[in-house]
Amino acid sequence: MTHLIETDVVVVGGGVTGVAVLRDLALRGVHAVLVERFDLGTGTSGRWHGLLHSGARYAVRDQESARECIEENTTLRRIAPHTIEDIGGLFVLLPGDDEAYAEQFVEGCRASGIPTEELSAAASHRREPLLAPDVRLAFAVPDGGIDSWGLLRSMAADAEARGCKVLVRHPLVGMERNGDRITAVRVHDAVAGEDRTIGCQWVVNAAGAWAGDVGKMAGVPLTMIAGKGVMVVMASRYVRGVINACRKPADGDIIVPQHEVAILGTTSEQVASADDISVPPADVDRMIDMCAQMVPAIASGRVLRAFAGSRPLYVAEPPADGDGGGGDTREVSRTFTVVDHPRLDGLDNMYSIVGGKLTTCRQMAEAVVDRLAERMGVTEPCRTATEVLPGADHGSHRLAEPLARVERDQAYGELICECELVTRGQVRDAVASGLTELEDLRRKLRLGYGPCQAAFCAWRAAGMLAEAQPAGNGTAPDAVAGLERFLEERWRGQRPTIWGDQARQALLNHAIYRGIFDLQGAGVPDEAAAPTAGAGDS
Amino acid sequence: MAADVIVVGAGPAGLATATRLAEAGRQVRVLARGNGFTHWGAGAVDVLGRVGGEPVAQPLEAIDRLPEGHPYHLVGLAAVRDGLEWFGGFAVDAGLAHVGDLDRNRLQVTAFGSLRPTCLLPEPAGGMTEPPAPEPAPPVGERNPTANGGALGRPQGRVAVVNFAGFRDFSAALCANRLRRDGIDATPASAPLPSWDHDRYFTGVELARAIDDVGFRRRLAPGLARAAAGADVVVVPAVLGLNRGHEPWADLQSLVGTPLVEAATAPPSIPGLRLFAAYRARLERLGVRWQFGFPAVGVERDGDRVTAVRSEGASRVLTTRCQELVLATGGVAGNGIEANRDGTLTEKVAGLPVDGFPDRLAYLGSRFLGDHPLAAAGVRVDAELRPVDASGEPLLANVRCVGGLLAAHDPTAEGSREGVALATAARVAALLAATPAR
Repeated sequence: MTHLIETDVVVVGGGVTGVAVLRDLALRGVHAVLVERFDLGTGTSGRWHGLLHSGARYAVRDQESARECIEENTTLRRIAPHTIEDIGGLFVLLPGDDEAYAEQFVEGCRASGIPTEELSAAASHRREPLLAPDVRLAFAVPDGGIDSWGLLRSMAADAEARGCKVLVRHPLVGMERNGDRITAVRVHDAVAGEDRTIGCQWVVNAAGAWAGDVGKMAGVPLTMIAGKGVMVVMASRYVRGVINACRKPADGDIIVPQHEVAILGTTSEQVASADDISVPPADVDRMIDMCAQMVPAIASGRVLRAFAGSRPLYVAEPPADGDGGGGDTREVSRTFTVVDHPRLDGLDNMYSIVGGKLTTCRQMAEAVVDRLAERMGVTEPCRTATEVLPGADHGSHRLAEPLARVERDQAYGELICECELVTRGQVRDAVASGLTELEDLRRKLRLGYGPCQAAFCAWRAAGMLAEAQPAGNGTAPDAVAGLERFLEERWRGQRPTIWGDQARQALLNHAIYRGIFDLQGAGVPDEAAAPTAGAGDS
Repeated sequence: MAADVIVVGAGPAGLATATRLAEAGRQVRVLARGNGFTHWGAGAVDVLGRVGGEPVAQPLEAIDRLPEGHPYHLVGLAAVRDGLEWFGGFAVDAGLAHVGDLDRNRLQVTAFGSLRPTCLLPEPAGGMTEPPAPEPAPPVGERNPTANGGALGRPQGRVAVVNFAGFRDFSAALCANRLRRDGIDATPASAPLPSWDHDRYFTGVELARAIDDVGFRRRLAPGLARAAAGADVVVVPAVLGLNRGHEPWADLQSLVGTPLVEAATAPPSIPGLRLFAAYRARLERLGVRWQFGFPAVGVERDGDRVTAVRSEGASRVLTTRCQELVLATGGVAGNGIEANRDGTLTEKVAGLPVDGFPDRLAYLGSRFLGDHPLAAAGVRVDAELRPVDASGEPLLANVRCVGGLLAAHDPTAEGSREGVALATAARVAALLAATPAR
């Protein structure tokens, strides 16, 4: 049988885990193709708070995860500093918090190899002036911020430079199985609108929260638990570093400053489907109220949006009500597992890599590729922990960088997105590199993330997309329809958080797009036809 | 401090009300937090552009189809006519003549190449479309069979859509592509700018100010004419002059030799800035005191009358006594009403009752470009525009509400913002002009 593409390994899933697997294979000289149903990082990798874990959050209950986190925290700082904001983190103790827990916390961190430094109330407030006045003490840990889009782009670019291939907008539609082997995977090229087969020797299932669906196509049982986490985006950072509550993990116990915003997290609720990314307003309220105990200014702050992501949780022995919902999933370990289908299920050439966290994605990849390499007879050792990623020479990311760039280029009037300091030159370069959708520009440039929620940048960028197309003969892609789709997609994340200033902003934006520009939404399909997932968010 | 009438708000409704009351001899003081929908609008006078999402051809007729309690029903068609007539005269006096009338809507070309239905257009925006010959009005209450875009008149001939090189807030391709999709023969082009102070980066306001200068216009015209070669009409962003009325547009048009049409562009609206400046100049000539940047934050009462307004200054709260109070603070969009986290709404100056929602999710529709109930939230009033309680009885004898603050209309979705502002200003002018200053 002939296939359009032949490769040694097909990697399913374009989140950080899949892309890390692809890079690991590439560094060992193995030819591989990654298939992703939407774009890179449109699942859980794009729907999280952006915390580079020190591991301290798991130091009391889940020390295996904690150790994995601190190891990888150190590794990522070495290989991908350009995606990291080195801001540190605090665990703060509020009145009513259990001091016995604080003792366990310090001991757990010590046992897991996580350095901590105790700060007095005064020292805590010097470091974080907006902390609640009644914070009693705090522990500093090496938390950080990490930009998953940047990490994904760097790892994918490195893998592609070494001969591997990334196919985005290629959802998996089936597998061809011959006895105990998968001989090919079938994907749908969503751009060309046709199916393709990819012949392969091995398959790595790195589909995260959706890994169970891939297992089903391969004919093996694999039960994932979808653990929904809701996060809230505030319009300002409020804090210099990450702020955690020093107590047993619960709703609304973490604030992660990221770029120009702060992200409040998070809930942990078992839901029936990983595609359930709905945001109940009550969750938003709880997150704000809880985080405001640590940083009171948040209570009256401007909320930009809220979003939810699905944790890819895995337990080898799923609970009896495994596909049910509603339970708290914090008890499920955050460590990762290589599921050995050859041994467990008699499927000889597929492995699944499940569980884990963004912080540990490289280690997850190493574990599954080690297993695969052994079977393939590849002797090249894993080099992902030592080979730095393209872009790493830039050093760590700093908040003031975009402003410094604008000042260097004297580009004040050149801003397409004033909130995020995105210049006309950046958009022009991105469009020239082949991006045709505002969604792609958003993920690449952070266009539209700021307080005005795309009141100005979206139509400016749509204009630039229109200018880049061949002279209008009526057949060019309709930039206005693309803009309407973009606005509706953004709206879903805004709706649960609209009151106060953002209500005014929303109606002003409505007055611009519908009032002045007279857009009536004709280019957007009905809600029922809209995709339920696939747009990363933060 | 004391005033006879205090008008709170300096958007389309507050400006018109203050001007008309001052013209009627009342001693007026304007308190305003900041700019309003002159700056945020399309730069036209919308009276009724859409009902149920469908474009309206004949606004006066379509008013019948609006729901009960709509401000137009409260003030009556006479006030709508009076408001538009007064505005027409005011605009001419200010050098900002408008075209159009209440019988037939026109189409305003936008930067997106859409054609939005509106009633009056400033002359620089008016040359694109001619409305069709009037048709006999259908019987009252019946749906107008011609109420669609096709009946609104479409551009004829060849259209050049021209941007000024380097101007960030307009895309000739975006505009021309959409016009072509609608069957209009439109081509995008770019006109070079003569060298000036802002060679690299500039805003629309800076470009408009430059175009005020006759020397700049003469250097600009040849390039614009080349970009427009062969076209019957030229669509440009609305930046043709800031402080000289419509004269820069008329002059540039004669230099280029082809009709120039300003397309509606994003905020700040330069036609809106022209209008705002005209109101401000007129109010100054009428001796109206003006406190800008002073949000009103409360009132003092004596029984069913407001006796004073408190406003926030830079360092203290000012109290200004008054005989009459007009609230033109806008709805949620205009900052007259606060939408709270729990679905309740708060009127921000006098604490007037506003119907809330079961929860905040009910504020807004599931589609951004759809309708949003919050946009129509506002203060319910009686026929004299006094705020009323749940049983419909007036709450305060000397307080009137105008414009976007009023309940039961959605200025954006209906395309009724300026019309409601002018009609309610006319009604208040009629009610208060007769009351002598005490």
